[in-house]
Amino acid sequence: MSFTGVIVLALLGVLASVGDAKAKVRVAATTGTLAAIAGDVGGELVEVTALSAPTEDPHYVDARPNLVLTLNHTDLLVATGLELEVGWLPNLQKSARNPEIGPGGRGYYEAHTALSHLAEVATGRVDRAQGDIHAGGNPHYLYDPRAGAEVAIGLGTKLAELDPANAATYVTRAQSVAAKYRSVGETQRARFAALSAEQRRVVSYHASWPYLLDWLALEQVETVEPKPGIAPSPAHVATVLQRMRATGAKAVLQEEFYPRGTSEKLSSLAGAKLVVVPGAVRFGTQTYPEFVGQIAEALHAALGG
Amino acid sequence: MFSLRVRGRGRTSALGVLCLSSPAWAADAPASAPAAPVSADAPAPTSDAPPPAPPAAAPVSEAEMRALTEALGADAQAVQAGSAPAPAAASGGAKPAAPAAAGNTGGLDLALILDVAGAWFSDDEPLQAGGHDPNHTGFTFQQLELSAGATVDPFFRFDTNIVFGLFGVEVEEAYGSTLALPGNLQVRAGQFLTRFGRLNGTHPHAWSFADQPLVNGRYFGSEGSRGLGAELSWLSPLPWYVELVGSATEAAGECCARSFYGGDDLGVDGVGDLLYTTALKQFFPFTGSASLLWGLSAQFGPNASGNGNRTEIYGTDLYLRFRPVDSSERRAFSWQTEVMHRRRQVPHDVLTDLGGYTQVVANWSPDWETGLRAERVLPLDGDDPELAEPEAKYAAAVTWHPSHFSRLRLQTSVADRGGASDLVYGALLALELVTGTHGAHAF
Repeated sequence: MSFTGVIVLALLGVLASVGDAKAKVRVAATTGTLAAIAGDVGGELVEVTALSAPTEDPHYVDARPNLVLTLNHTDLLVATGLELEVGWLPNLQKSARNPEIGPGGRGYYEAHTALSHLAEVATGRVDRAQGDIHAGGNPHYLYDPRAGAEVAIGLGTKLAELDPANAATYVTRAQSVAAKYRSVGETQRARFAALSAEQRRVVSYHASWPYLLDWLALEQVETVEPKPGIAPSPAHVATVLQRMRATGAKAVLQEEFYPRGTSEKLSSLAGAKLVVVPGAVRFGTQTYPEFVGQIAEALHAALGG
Repeated sequence: MFSLRVRGRGRTSALGVLCLSSPAWAADAPASAPAAPVSADAPAPTSDAPPPAPPAAAPVSEAEMRALTEALGADAQAVQAGSAPAPAAASGGAKPAAPAAAGNTGGLDLALILDVAGAWFSDDEPLQAGGHDPNHTGFTFQQLELSAGATVDPFFRFDTNIVFGLFGVEVEEAYGSTLALPGNLQVRAGQFLTRFGRLNGTHPHAWSFADQPLVNGRYFGSEGSRGLGAELSWLSPLPWYVELVGSATEAAGECCARSFYGGDDLGVDGVGDLLYTTALKQFFPFTGSASLLWGLSAQFGPNASGNGNRTEIYGTDLYLRFRPVDSSERRAFSWQTEVMHRRRQVPHDVLTDLGGYTQVVANWSPDWETGLRAERVLPLDGDDPELAEPEAKYAAAVTWHPSHFSRLRLQTSVADRGGASDLVYGALLALELVTGTHGAHAF
């Protein structure tokens, strides 16, 4: 194509984007869980897209070019932050040609900034010999509905800032959404409170659960991965098995996107149950309270409550 | 080497400080266009009342406007620094967390990538055309790449890849990319790899084999197609991904424009003496798991044979990827093919040839990857002393990733140099280590 042709097409593109009157705030969320929370807060005022499949490991998502296209048309990009998406999101932001949702843009929101408490914030020297750790804090906070409530409030404020005409609606709705999330959290916490100290011991595959452990007052005795992101070795698995036998841990907890073979063997040898839970909300068919409820139910059943 | 590293670190922290302090002036810039920031910085909402309506028709004096502009600049700065007071209605238990180590200050991302290999070849002249390929029996220091990048300000991003060999340094890439051009446009300027085809724009650590495809070495040069210049790309508003790329770069360099001026730099007297690269990239997501990236590319420029003789290279590339998004084994399969046709005017002749490679790569788990590649470069027409016989090469690779940051690759190959020469067998073991903060990879 000739250079003039390119210019003409470019001008047409500008015209097309100007003519595109926007009705709803277009929100893109990196995970199904963030999408569900944004949908709850924004309701009919927003149009939400999840950038990754709920069955995908959010650490490793393909930066497919169609996501560049989505971000090109996005008003608000909601990410987990804490380097969870560092392997794929920055490139999409750079290619999207939409400065609003780029780093530092008004339409880029890292949900961890809403939290009052972050687990496992690195103090002292961070070394990769510790595995693939997130120095800013553990990014898997949305397994705790209390954190979900804080994110809802934060998103309400952010949406109010981006769409001032509906500011009051976002802020009010965020309050009621947060209250609902908290009440789900309290109900489950109360159920787990009836468990004995021995019944509260779990083994997890990846270090995804500090927030959930805190919420349900559980104790993690070991992780199947020796270090975050490092595949289990036979020697380490043997240690995990010994620890399970010694502590009587009755559940191995993992997200569905991690391999199951080792966990299955471990659970059967230790007489424990393998609890495989979704890593994110099935956005569109499931709500956030249903999602955290599902995880808590599965755990409660395995722990023999 | 150690002293270089230390110096690099020192510069980083200085740059980091610069970046931290930049919002002061960066935030002032948009304020010169009052319309947008005014609506952007609407008063903080409360739960019981919508934001107050602006007061009626009292004209705003110039002094007032200046005061407003200044206040807006200060507010925007506070918002960017994350210290804006939370609106009263939204403070229900939410205190802004301030993780000390949160890496979102816009500082410089620095990574060092080391590639070393040990190889064996059955002949002293194996068919290895890449500048960082293991190409002799023994150990090869493929490269030590220093990769750095940062957002400069709201308008530019800066990226560089500096490659250290054992005895020298080369600035492989150093360019700025625009971040805020209107009309879905983006400009890159500086020294960069052109976006011809699929593999050329990427670096060895993103490759599935330890060496560069033959055709890239023969047509572009040992370092691939790259040069000093500027590039404009445009993301079309069509409902599927269509990106158009055009760049103009210097046509000289045996390493990186060998089908054009190559080692004989005849200089630039007019626009006809530059090397132009154009590309059209389209992406088709068939399902969440299967997708196809298809590219068409072309290069036009002068060659060194005189009389205004020119060279043209046309190429197409396909990347078909299947990665089930609901697999706990995290498997992925991909098929990548590039084919290029080259046409060179030389005194009393026109040389044409065809080259390409096709490869299948399977990721069986996050740790294990296998790949097969077949390559061919064949002369079609004309009498080219450099490429008299068809060349072919076949390679198989097994890669183990102990973690996301290291890999060990065993690769074997057999090469046919054409004519009566013997086949060349080769085997190599390559180690790659990645440290520091290395940016995300493109698809």
